[in-house]
Amino acid sequence: MDYGCVILKKLGRREMTNESEDDLAHKILKDIKAPSDLGLLRCVQCGLCTSMCPASRHSEYDAREIIKRVLDNDESIIEDEIIWNCFYCYTCHSVCPVGNSVCEVNQILRQMAIDKDVGKKQIESFMSFADSFLEEGLGIIPKEYHGQLKIDYGKHWENLQENLQEVREELGLDSMFLLPEAKESVDKTLDAIGFKKRVDSIKEVRNRK
Amino acid sequence: MVDVDKFIPTENITLFRSCLVSAEYPGVEASTKFVFDKLGVEYVIDRNQSCCTGLGHYYDIFDELSTTALAARNFSYAIRNNHKQYVPMCATCYAILKTSAKILNEKDDVREEINKAFRENGLEEFQYNKGDIDPRDDITHVVDVLYYLKDKIPEFKKRDISNLTIATHHGCHYCKVHYNDTLCGYRNPEIIDKICEVMEAPALQWYDHKPRHCGSGFRQRYANRELSLDATVDKFESLHKEKVDVLLVMCPNCQLQFDRYEQVLEDMTGDKHYFAVMNIAQLVALYMGADPYKVLGIQTHTVNVEPLLDKLGIEYDSTEDTLHVRNE
Repeated sequence: MDYGCVILKKLGRREMTNESEDDLAHKILKDIKAPSDLGLLRCVQCGLCTSMCPASRHSEYDAREIIKRVLDNDESIIEDEIIWNCFYCYTCHSVCPVGNSVCEVNQILRQMAIDKDVGKKQIESFMSFADSFLEEGLGIIPKEYHGQLKIDYGKHWENLQENLQEVREELGLDSMFLLPEAKESVDKTLDAIGFKKRVDSIKEVRNRK
Repeated sequence: MVDVDKFIPTENITLFRSCLVSAEYPGVEASTKFVFDKLGVEYVIDRNQSCCTGLGHYYDIFDELSTTALAARNFSYAIRNNHKQYVPMCATCYAILKTSAKILNEKDDVREEINKAFRENGLEEFQYNKGDIDPRDDITHVVDVLYYLKDKIPEFKKRDISNLTIATHHGCHYCKVHYNDTLCGYRNPEIIDKICEVMEAPALQWYDHKPRHCGSGFRQRYANRELSLDATVDKFESLHKEKVDVLLVMCPNCQLQFDRYEQVLEDMTGDKHYFAVMNIAQLVALYMGADPYKVLGIQTHTVNVEPLLDKLGIEYDSTEDTLHVRNE
């Protein structure tokens, strides 16, 4: 079978029938994360993305296949664990000849998964990052993973955590923490924009386990 | 000064702080300040600034609206301070800030939603006006500034570093996200290489997997450790093959991947060869005579940098490092 021909037929069908605007591809194009010039509908399945993609090289993930399933309006992809293998390295994005970005499409698919429980379960182990942000306005390495990190990084890393303030002083650096009123306004901003509600809904799924 | 087609600031800069630099490699901040001071770059650091959200954003914890609202809040401080040139030390901060500025300028409904949330919650001062920040000209990475001023760097030479075998690793979120804003190429990135050249310490022109990522993959390092390290091994083995003395990076996330995991990677591959991992600002500071512990902060590196100093004939007092566990 001439695969190229099949693709062209598919593309032709998409153009000609002007498929409904509520299919998966159009939902993605309307997402806040999608740049106005995202070339999703221009994908010709050339596979350059897959050829350069580290997740495609080292796992079952296939960047080109992600886009194919989106263009086929295969909504099961939202619940497919495979979307969680993307490294967000943007290599696919930087080489795509038609201005598509599998990386950004993937980010949108994950947010769609997070709207359901299936995605929330994937990210609940990173919630200490959100807690730190709400408390301090600062990102941290997620505490949930410190056990493995202590094994991988060794005693030196623990010593660094314990003596960080002193080390920063030796380097002549000011405190890494935000001013108290700044912390407060970060907290207010995150409340106003709905982030706290989002965090609560993710924790609710975690606590149900 | 180098001729470049985007605006590079040398004044009115807010050095944008990074969570990973602050907590893992604070010497990158101290080195950047040291080098900027030598080069006469005018900057401030603002403790009103929150993190960019980058790591949490790419763990998918932060939604785009929240990240963009926090960026608007940060932009408002930089503008009020008359230091609206944001210069991050981290590639993730750089890309996140640019994306946020683009969304705020181009998506009227999103900007209005954020401004409305500010207005209704007593946070009017953070409101963003379309065009307040130009994502191309008002957000530049530290390496952009160093590259722009590179011809001044040799004026401050204190140490010869020409006998090093150097490999460069360019952050994906500097090169590949907003690739039209990337200086010196993004498919074969060379901006760090160009800075090395003026210090008479040329980097390897090419090594296998040079443009590839570090393997951290945000969530992958933690939730998918084996996949992450498998990807890192590609580059790690290539660096061993080339017998490099030092890998130069421009992003703390990459630094962490190669420095903190070097022992794990050696155990995985059975491949033994020493190399140090440094941020380009640390090497420039070293070249300009900075103290290895009080400025570069090498005591925070997992892989000892002292063998590199030995190779360069630089004296140091290793008792200044109280973090590494020594076998006396």
